[in-house]
Amino acid sequence: MAAPTKGNVTNLNQTPGANNKTQNHTQDTGNNGLIIAQFTMSNTRSYTSCTYGGVAMTQLYQLNRGGLSQRMAFYYLENPPTGNNQLRVNFNGSQFNPISIHIRSFTDSGGIGASLRSGGSSSPHTGNLTVSQDDSLVMITSCCVNAIATQQIPTGSNKTFTTHNTNRQVATGAISANAGEIAGVLSVRATSVFGNLTLDRTEIKGLSSSVDTSGGDFFAIM
Amino acid sequence: MITIISKIELEGTDNLKYTDVGYTTDVGVINEINEDYDSTLGKFLGENRTKLEIGEVLISAFFDGVSYVSEARTEVENTDQLNLSEIININQL
Repeated sequence: MAAPTKGNVTNLNQTPGANNKTQNHTQDTGNNGLIIAQFTMSNTRSYTSCTYGGVAMTQLYQLNRGGLSQRMAFYYLENPPTGNNQLRVNFNGSQFNPISIHIRSFTDSGGIGASLRSGGSSSPHTGNLTVSQDDSLVMITSCCVNAIATQQIPTGSNKTFTTHNTNRQVATGAISANAGEIAGVLSVRATSVFGNLTLDRTEIKGLSSSVDTSGGDFFAIM
Repeated sequence: MITIISKIELEGTDNLKYTDVGYTTDVGVINEINEDYDSTLGKFLGENRTKLEIGEVLISAFFDGVSYVSEARTEVENTDQLNLSEIININQL
């Protein structure tokens, strides 16, 4: 197996003030591309669809976190158009609360693997994800009333993340180290300074190894 | 990370329109832009979110006499292919 190659990242935290939000993002050039987008906003509105470069993205999940009055979603698109294109997420009405958006590109990806979501639980919030193959990357995101302190992939290994304010605190963009994870049960953890926080985790698969036919010597032992 | 500066205008009577107009890595420029946003449009939105959502207040009420507001809350790792100029002084906006 080989880990997916991490590409460009775009983070934004603005108030749409319309029934959609658009943002330009540059998808890296390369084979087996993948683009993912994580969203969090007030649950007064729902996500109805998402496109990148005019191509419909697939919704992996959309969750109403009623206790936090937030709605969190994850969309992805395999083999997206490369270069600078517009991502557009649509709502079922005008959204006048801030939205958190994290967009990340990959190349050399085998698509989305395992994904599990856990609602609010006291800090530290620890959860497992059964990673389906070696070298996959794992992304996590959390939401909390109070400041989020850490995002750990695996548990004990702090990863950088972006903090957004949607009238709740959002941690987005945390991802495994470049080498990826080992297949099997992976423990991840999120912590806050105080109070319950959510923990959503998703596997980004790499490519299965294949026979190298690009060159080299061939020996036949007789 | 590099911060993109957005120009926010009224579109129609009740929508916001965002246009990326430049980028900066200067924390002073970012803070100046966002402090101005927070004390103007951000304040208006904060005070009227529910009324805006049910149509009791229109966002056009804020833009009476205001042509646009800037905000710097989008981050990217590089500006390749974005066709944006670097902003080193808020007066360039």
